[in-house]
Amino acid sequence: MDVAKELLAGTVLAGARAIRWLDDNDPRGADVLASVFADTGRAHIVGVTGPPGAGKSTLVSALIAEERKRGRRVGVIAVDPSSPFTGGAILGDRVRMSRHTLDPDVFIRSVGSRGQVGGLARSTHDACLILDAMGYDVIFVETMGVGQDEIDIVALAHTTVIVGVPGLGDEVQAVKAGLMEAGEIFVINKADREGYEATQKQLELMLHLRAESRGYKDDDWSPPLLPAVALKDEGIAAIVDAIDQHGERLRASGDFERRTGQREREHTLTLLREEIMRSITGSAAPAVMAAVERRELDPHTAARSLLDQWRRKNMPGLNDTNDSEVL
Amino acid sequence: MIFTGLKQTPEMVAAAAIQEDVDVVGISTLSAGHTRSLPKLARLLREAGAGDKLLLAGGVIPEEDRPLLEAAGVHRTFTMGSDTRDIVAYLNSWWARKLEAEA
Amino acid sequence: MSNTKVSTLGQPRDAAVTSSQGSLAEEVSRWQEHTRASYVEANPERRDAFLTQALKWPINALYTPVDLEAAGFDYLKDVGFPGEYPYTRGTQPNGHRSAFWTMTQVTGFGSGESWSKRARYMLDQGLSGLILEYDLATTNGYDSDDPMVEGEVGRAGMALDSLEDLEKAFDLPFDKLKYLMSVCNAPQPVNLAMIIAALEKKGVDPKDFVLHIVNGILIEYTCVGRYIYPPEHGLRLATDCIEYIINNHPNWAPISIIAAQLQPAKANPVQEIAFSLTIACAYIESTLARGFDIDTVAPYFHFVVNVDMDFFEGICKLRAFRKCWARLMRERYGATRPEAMKIRMMTSPTTTALTLQQPLNNIGRLAIMATACALGGAGENMTTPLHDEAHSLPAEEAIRVGAALQHIVAHETGVAETIDPLAGSYYVETLTKQIETAAFEEMEKIFAMGGALKAIETGYFQRALGREQYERNRDIEEGRRKWVGVNHLTLAEEKRQIDIFRLNDDMESEQVAKVQDLRARRDQAAVDAVLEEIRKAARNGDNMVPPCLKAVKLYATHGEICYAMRDVFGEYGSDSQLGGI
Repeated sequence: MDVAKELLAGTVLAGARAIRWLDDNDPRGADVLASVFADTGRAHIVGVTGPPGAGKSTLVSALIAEERKRGRRVGVIAVDPSSPFTGGAILGDRVRMSRHTLDPDVFIRSVGSRGQVGGLARSTHDACLILDAMGYDVIFVETMGVGQDEIDIVALAHTTVIVGVPGLGDEVQAVKAGLMEAGEIFVINKADREGYEATQKQLELMLHLRAESRGYKDDDWSPPLLPAVALKDEGIAAIVDAIDQHGERLRASGDFERRTGQREREHTLTLLREEIMRSITGSAAPAVMAAVERRELDPHTAARSLLDQWRRKNMPGLNDTNDSEVL
Repeated sequence: MIFTGLKQTPEMVAAAAIQEDVDVVGISTLSAGHTRSLPKLARLLREAGAGDKLLLAGGVIPEEDRPLLEAAGVHRTFTMGSDTRDIVAYLNSWWARKLEAEA
Repeated sequence: MSNTKVSTLGQPRDAAVTSSQGSLAEEVSRWQEHTRASYVEANPERRDAFLTQALKWPINALYTPVDLEAAGFDYLKDVGFPGEYPYTRGTQPNGHRSAFWTMTQVTGFGSGESWSKRARYMLDQGLSGLILEYDLATTNGYDSDDPMVEGEVGRAGMALDSLEDLEKAFDLPFDKLKYLMSVCNAPQPVNLAMIIAALEKKGVDPKDFVLHIVNGILIEYTCVGRYIYPPEHGLRLATDCIEYIINNHPNWAPISIIAAQLQPAKANPVQEIAFSLTIACAYIESTLARGFDIDTVAPYFHFVVNVDMDFFEGICKLRAFRKCWARLMRERYGATRPEAMKIRMMTSPTTTALTLQQPLNNIGRLAIMATACALGGAGENMTTPLHDEAHSLPAEEAIRVGAALQHIVAHETGVAETIDPLAGSYYVETLTKQIETAAFEEMEKIFAMGGALKAIETGYFQRALGREQYERNRDIEEGRRKWVGVNHLTLAEEKRQIDIFRLNDDMESEQVAKVQDLRARRDQAAVDAVLEEIRKAARNGDNMVPPCLKAVKLYATHGEICYAMRDVFGEYGSDSQLGGI
């Protein structure tokens, strides 16, 4: 199977395999990506995030249905950072989207934590590129808004939808703390529940304060605050309208390409960091790390030493002006 | 590990397995519908070019049905009371064989 | 042991003198140190710790009145008399001396015709009540020709697409069949309507027959999984059925809390009582909100409780269960009628104790568990699972043995000849009280988090059950718990010892043809109109039973009515099964 050719033709099996290769650091993944990269940069990437229990998966499921009504092909990346076991995870986000499983124009992929910091963001970005190349018009990236990793994921979206629910004050706090800055569209899901008005007022106030502090001009994007009952498909069309409007705004201003470009730049840096880390923390690292753990070596000296060893190995012409090898 | 939820048809399981590009598909079946659903799932995976996935089944499956299921492409059944350590050992040896074959 | 006896007998005078002089507590410590300790030193105990099977509570070597005193045991307050508050000794004033419990068995597979045939066979075996189970298509709200259920039709129970199927199923001697329990939770109003319509067609007087609908949707969200709509709507539909039955068929039973479904999910006795009673409270409160009072509502509640292989844990659980219900109705809701405080209960040996290996051993297990059920008071009904359940759907021989088993316990053992024969046992009373106390603590915890609906929505129940299940598996795999045939006395090779029941593979296509033929014959315009009425009633919050009754009589199918309600309520998807992992 010519994976690159097949995935450009939209074959799910090929796209799924490419995503896996990239995830596994299999060199075939990078080759495929290089040959399909010219076909990326078209999809509208929409981040959907919020605290646990906000009904994000259910909301995404409803959004898929609405996008499909509008004739678009939809990709979904369901990111689940919760990992009960080291090096593994059990991902259940698909469950709430299962009504779309048999739709050939919907591709749902789960991404779980693989233990390393930043791993989620890298895997998610690679998966986005593949889905983009496969010709999906909209890609939803669903993630829990809790840790640093998740904020990195939000940063890769063109449009970010923040989801809250009524009745839980501390969830609003979580939204306020981590994600309030990032949101372009705010949704209060489960709006038929008690406490909706209070949550609505709180979020409205926060959005107002945010606008004030940024000194918004009249033609700036003003984030809408929308009610929804995702389980009943209520309020969904309005959210998709807002996503579309935000997308059009980005395209008209040139921000769409700018954001896409920034994303590739960030991704490149992530890959570099990963590769350099892997390369530096090679054979000498465990001994140095053990010495640091025993507090026989301070972290600064240890890091400098590892870096120097790595330089000597990789750049043989370089003069050693600073001999700081300690082990 | 990807959980698809309850109440999945063979078509849905095959689609999810392909989208997620998993190595192993595990099915739990208790309703006696396994003589229809499992062979169909194996066939759907093969037809989609995903016949390389390991297909396992558990639940209420009479001993007599195993040859039929194995002939249809179910690699192994682990029924009620199976020791999870046996399942892990089976998966480990399957994985080792697979890596060896690919090398 | 004989050594101990001899040495005690050797000093009869000393012993008599000491016991009349020292307190009983001192006597117990004297026995521990003087008689038992040295024996145990010479004959070490066969395990490090003796624990109850599910709760893992330590079991003492000996229980005496001292333990009862330490637990604050008060005979009149804690136990009382049969037929009187707190009903620890049973809700019947004469136990089972006036009549045995009703002996029932679960049945259901195939089409309406094949169910009717099997039901007749069961009634001929001396059973007077039947439990009707439906296939997964029915319980999940699909018709037999729905692509969702290919291969499942008629497998785990009877296929029910339209009133026509029930008309065939009810080709039965209704002079023999006096009690029918219908197990259909998520689509309960549709199922209730179909049964009412079918009984009407058969000319059965609803006053002369007890229909018992299980109507237990909340447990489906907790551990079984046969749900359709989100929990709040599930609760509303269940309440619709309760309200309809109280108003129209007051001699019927509108709800069962099947604690027995929590138990195979490995709930321990404390969780089983606390979870099922708080779940009952959710239904009670939603019914009270419709304008009934507790003394009217409470007597309609019914529980199905399993007993596992730990004999005493099972017996004490049944005794504590009765007492907890009585206390809850009186203390939380201010019930005043005795009927409101008497729990109605069906007991059953658990299927989870049964093994796939050496299936005939299961008959022994079933006999022991059925005896425990009887010793624990049995309840109004007892049902026995069958020894071949781990292999396949029950075969006829297994049904015969299962029915005989209850008769053996009832007629041959003498356990039902006196009321609550284990009362007063120091161990039984201590354990009963411990379970009651722990169950009330757990209930307080659940009420504090907002009750059962909240506990389901947040996955609390699911997580707790997942942990129990994991622990149990580890105990078995690591050999801490011996299970004959599984990790003890295993056979290198098992020979098939039982018949396997096979369903005719043509059944599904026949059933599909039947429902499609029906759709072609009926008045489609009338069906479309009535389905619109269903949607309207669902939106308006009306009681759903009357519109369902109208719809089934026009031969709207089960799946069509369920889909009409999906249009309004949405569909529930849950990964809460992952909760415990």
